[in-house]
Amino acid sequence: MRTNLFLLILVSYFSLTLVLKSEDIKSIGAEATANSPVAVVKKVFKDVDYRKSSQQSDWQKASVGLILNDGNEVKTGSKSLALILFTDGTGLLRVRENSILHIYGEKKQQRLDKNTFIQKGLISFDVNKLSENEEFKFTTPTVVASIRGTSGFLEYTEDSTFTMSLDSGSAHLSFLGPQGGEGILQEGNTVVITNDGNFQFRAQSPEDINKANDSKKTTIKKVIIKTQRGNIEIEYYSSEE
Amino acid sequence: MKRIFTIKVKTKIFLNLCLLSILTTFVYAQESEYILNIKTEEAKEKSPLTFIIDLISTENISSIELAYKFSNQTDFKEIELQILGTTATVTIPADEVKPPILEYYFILNLKDGSVKTYPPNVESNNSALQLAISSIERQKEDIMILSPSENEIVTPADLLISISFIKAGENIDINKTKILLNQVDITQHSLNANDLIVISGQNIKNLKYGPAKIEIQLYDKDANLYGTLTRNIQIITPQKAEEITKKWNFGGSIKAESRNESFNKTSTWYNNLSAEARATSGNFLFSGQLYVTSEEKRYLQPYNRYTFTIRNGDLFTLQVGDSYPQFSDLIMNGKRVRGINGSLNLGIINLSATYGEITRKVEGSLLETFLKNQAPLAYDVIPINESKYNYPYGRVKLGTYSRKIFAVRPSFGSGENFQLGFSYLHSKDDPNSVEFAARPQENAVIGTDLMLALDQQNVVFKSQAAFSIFNKNISPGTLSDSQIDSIFGQGKAFDIDPENIKRIKKLLGKIITVNQYIGPLNPQKLASFAGEATLNINYFNNTVNATYIYRGNDYTSFGQNFIRTDVKGFNISDRIRMFNNQFFFTIGYEKLEDNLQKTKIATTTYETFNTTASLFLRANFPSITIGYTKYKNNNGINFSDSIYNNYIVNDVTNRLSLLLAYDIRLGVRHNTSLSLTTQKREDNSLLNMDASYNSISFSVNSYWANNLTSIFQLLYNSTEIANSQYEYFTITAGTKYRLFENRLLLSATLSPSFGDFDRQALEIVADYNLIRNLNIAFQTRILRFPGKSTNSFIGLVTRYVL
Repeated sequence: MRTNLFLLILVSYFSLTLVLKSEDIKSIGAEATANSPVAVVKKVFKDVDYRKSSQQSDWQKASVGLILNDGNEVKTGSKSLALILFTDGTGLLRVRENSILHIYGEKKQQRLDKNTFIQKGLISFDVNKLSENEEFKFTTPTVVASIRGTSGFLEYTEDSTFTMSLDSGSAHLSFLGPQGGEGILQEGNTVVITNDGNFQFRAQSPEDINKANDSKKTTIKKVIIKTQRGNIEIEYYSSEE
Repeated sequence: MKRIFTIKVKTKIFLNLCLLSILTTFVYAQESEYILNIKTEEAKEKSPLTFIIDLISTENISSIELAYKFSNQTDFKEIELQILGTTATVTIPADEVKPPILEYYFILNLKDGSVKTYPPNVESNNSALQLAISSIERQKEDIMILSPSENEIVTPADLLISISFIKAGENIDINKTKILLNQVDITQHSLNANDLIVISGQNIKNLKYGPAKIEIQLYDKDANLYGTLTRNIQIITPQKAEEITKKWNFGGSIKAESRNESFNKTSTWYNNLSAEARATSGNFLFSGQLYVTSEEKRYLQPYNRYTFTIRNGDLFTLQVGDSYPQFSDLIMNGKRVRGINGSLNLGIINLSATYGEITRKVEGSLLETFLKNQAPLAYDVIPINESKYNYPYGRVKLGTYSRKIFAVRPSFGSGENFQLGFSYLHSKDDPNSVEFAARPQENAVIGTDLMLALDQQNVVFKSQAAFSIFNKNISPGTLSDSQIDSIFGQGKAFDIDPENIKRIKKLLGKIITVNQYIGPLNPQKLASFAGEATLNINYFNNTVNATYIYRGNDYTSFGQNFIRTDVKGFNISDRIRMFNNQFFFTIGYEKLEDNLQKTKIATTTYETFNTTASLFLRANFPSITIGYTKYKNNNGINFSDSIYNNYIVNDVTNRLSLLLAYDIRLGVRHNTSLSLTTQKREDNSLLNMDASYNSISFSVNSYWANNLTSIFQLLYNSTEIANSQYEYFTITAGTKYRLFENRLLLSATLSPSFGDFDRQALEIVADYNLIRNLNIAFQTRILRFPGKSTNSFIGLVTRYVL
């Protein structure tokens, strides 16, 4: 009985969505403009590389003004940073050290449908309040986050732990892990989702706030500590002006 | 009245200037007996527009008027200029400035009574000057300067000029765009890529330091000026940039909350205040956090929090007050310490340390007194001060000792590709901190951890190991050798070789109290050992993770309360990305077992298999996630085992979930999602606690306008445990509406449940931005359980952000 109910609901849902979206589905790709620039690199520090797609084996050095198209990837090395602006003016991403970010976008009429895939690392973001028909998506192997008018940071570590912390706005989260599920993260809160699908929502701790503030720093400074055996150079990020 | 026009005009120059005045808003001049030049700022819609006229001489001028009209006006309007020395100025008010064109000329009233215009003969020639007015909406919607931002301060190396035409109309000719920096055409340095133009400051030679103005002239396909965008920036030297970062910046926030909860006729008020202040200069951060609540009671552990932090980037951190130090996961991670916490990271060598209180003393109370021979054996009957209470024993309400902790971790390597750390933790109850408490404890842990990364962290190996010593009761103190001989040995209280205890005392006596309550006494069995190793490999779109863990049943760290002990085993998983990161597949297997030190009747094996497939097409198609998980627990005891069959663990749980999400644009955007979960547990133990769980959830989030959203959700839940069924249905409808220019947020959610769970919930929130940075919010939640009770939660929150 319940199996039949499940199947009925499933079929109904698909039918409904397909009927409602039949026009849109027909238009997939029809409006798309090939090679529309999706983003531009505003700032680089130290080791920032890019490649046009995962099929390309070699990475190339990224520089200020580099134009990023659909499918391009940006990789940062140790103590490195890249600032990325989306071409529709909707957002700024700060790609922190040891991160790999994939950028996707498709221009449809005068709208840019944007998506990013964060393979690993920490991304700090400031996304403007979009119109009601727009949203910005971050995809990771375990979570998809849709945001509108949001600032904060998102981290995906090598052990598949997803962390998102919001200073402002809200995010709609879909969990891809074995537990599945959805949730809404509100400003001033943090969510941590482990690789086994367990998640914890909490108010931003002082550590989260400090991490969020740190992730916004984009000015690089250097101090030199003089020792008897030579100088130790320490480079660090300072506040954005 | 007809005016007399006598100014001589060089027609060619005049026409050129008229054209230029349409194209841009820079300085222009025309040959005149009275006017040297005219300056305007960039003309923007709804921005005041000022004209500054440099006069050759004011000797013959009585007054000057500006005659102007915008495109939709038929008559010129006149406004008198203010003359100061040889400069005359006038400003058209902001609310009058409208796009696209302003027509204007000047009327000069001379002292001899004659009138002249500039340009001459305007009325007969219909040759008024024209100025393009930038449309706010048009510029905002159509063409954007992504970089630089207005008043941005940049070094030449950081300068990026980028203009986006993504939203530009088809009539715009991107290739005709001109970019000027301080009136110098730098268009030749630009790179055009479809809808984007970029110029990197590194490509512009001889950039001058100081204020700079970027002008972007936009043209339509007929080569007519469409509009002009400008940016004012400051170009500075790297040295100056460094000076700027050293400026002090201050910020902070304060939030107060008063909340009343009325639950089952009990009314309780909660009052909270949280405040945060910070000051930064360069990389230095000074910050303070304070949280004060009415929930703070002297007979409970602290609810209040206060922290003062000094940081210098990653170099060092010092925290005083409440902090949550992070050492090795096995030793200390996330435990609150009230004291001092700091770290120094030089890369090659680093040091982290913390010292403070993790448990506050809470005094107990004396309930009953006993003579020595009448005192019963009970956990709450303890020796008391006989001289003070006249009896040697008493039944007490046990208090809590103050517990201090010290932890230190020197490490070597930055953690990028290598780090080796050594940790030491010591924690002890203070037996003198309270009068009525029992069994003060002491704990010491030593550990090491290693991190190794290869090939830009595509291969990461992490491992950690720790060994703990735990004394469950230090009240007798460290035993003397003679006491050891009297307690330990064959036929005595503890059948352990006393020489072993003496060796332990010699080895550990300076670290921890050694007596009959210390453990482990048989360290070779690894009861208090914990270790784990993880290998993460990331190649060819596969992320493989393999972990092995071992945690003895006696492993204890006061810095880590949430660790699962008495378990060993492994887990392995692979996460695969396919089709350009649009399809994700995960498969994992875990096998754990307990009873490591044979302290249980049987060893239970816990097996988990899970797999998930997710499809996230970046197209108009539903996103789909399907997950399957199987849990299998078995301890090998058979039904036929008449002695132990009450302890059988033998169950299998299958769980299947499906999540569909879809964005529908039906007038406006609606996020829809459908979630189905079914789970069945088959229990083969004597209890036969078979269970099934089914859940269906459907939700629609609608974005009606930027200030109006709504949510609608249907939820069905059904649980059946040992033939006992629990079923309910919930409908949720809610809306959020922002008004008064987003200053007031109103939200309401109604959520009734029917079936075995009968409840009606209503939540209303009003959040008002009273003045700049000051918000006040009112929240109420009413929960009604029909036929039982109605409970309410009412709260008032104010927050101020500096």
